[in-house]
Amino acid sequence: MDFDLEDLVHVEQTFYDEGYTDGFAHGRIHGLIEGRALGREKGYEMWEELGFYEGFALMWRAVLEQHGSKDDRAASNITHLIGLIAQFPRINPSSTDSSDLDIPKLFRQIRSRYKALCATLGVRPTLRAAGAQDGLDDPGDSPAGASAVAGQSVWKIDKQPPARVTNDLSF
Amino acid sequence: MDTDDSPWEDNATNVRDSEWSKISSDFLNAGYREGITAGKESALQAGFDEGFAETGAPIGRSIGLMRGYISSIIAFLSSGRSLPSGVDAGQLLGEARAISGALGDVRFSDIAPPDLEAEMHAREHLGEDAADVVTSEELQEKKDMESLEDLMNRMGAGSSSRGQEKRATMDDVKSLQTRLSVLAQTLGLSLPLP
Repeated sequence: MDFDLEDLVHVEQTFYDEGYTDGFAHGRIHGLIEGRALGREKGYEMWEELGFYEGFALMWRAVLEQHGSKDDRAASNITHLIGLIAQFPRINPSSTDSSDLDIPKLFRQIRSRYKALCATLGVRPTLRAAGAQDGLDDPGDSPAGASAVAGQSVWKIDKQPPARVTNDLSF
Repeated sequence: MDTDDSPWEDNATNVRDSEWSKISSDFLNAGYREGITAGKESALQAGFDEGFAETGAPIGRSIGLMRGYISSIIAFLSSGRSLPSGVDAGQLLGEARAISGALGDVRFSDIAPPDLEAEMHAREHLGEDAADVVTSEELQEKKDMESLEDLMNRMGAGSSSRGQEKRATMDDVKSLQTRLSVLAQTLGLSLPLP
């Protein structure tokens, strides 16, 4: 015998560690790429919908101002809606532990406020806001079926570093 | 070969060498597999946050804003509220609907900037398992759905031009923004800043 078992065990560990280090570096690249692809999609999905409400409200505010409208209910709905959207994070809130934002709740409030605004204006709301009522996923072909779906799949990311799993930050 | 060595000796060395390289590669590979999983999980969240904040959210918001503006303008034009004099509501409504339709066709995948790091890395993988380098299952599903949509558009549209159009680009989005802005100006409005 020209080796003893101790040496062999040690050598195995060395090989394993070497492989692990290389694999880890490679895995990080893949994690970043895959995470980025998902984050892009979710960020787009959510903010496309929110931007829609925001643009809708802002444009109507300009219209009402132009008409010297005294429609206080519409104006108040617009102010509230814009205020709610301003609270919505533009970066993934799980990466900043500063807030206890309830994202799904905020989303529901925004959709409801948008629909209230539509009602005061006598305008038919877009289908994408339907999720606010029944809690179901967006039935339409809108690119913004954000609530439930986004909540889950973003959650998937959070699940992997267990430290980040909290109930109120669902993405 | 060294003729002094007996074949027996030679053989033993070979066996030992190949055992040795088998052991080393087994453990290297095992370590690599564990490492790649751990490394991936360690970076997913950071990647997600980056993609969300730097690309998805800002682009989504700008598209959403334009869709919101145009939706609001269409509603306004259809509402019978008074328009500036000399403005033809019907004609403007046509332009507004055209803009709205074009905006509605824009997909994120059309206008998202390429992930250069992902493309570079995919090239490094060429010849290996290139197909599953960057695509998560969920995004693949979405892509499949989009190509299905394209297919149905082509079949359903027949000779109408809509299904035949090329996918929108960021330049198209910019020109839609200009049309939107012109439309608003005709109405005596400017596009509000968010």
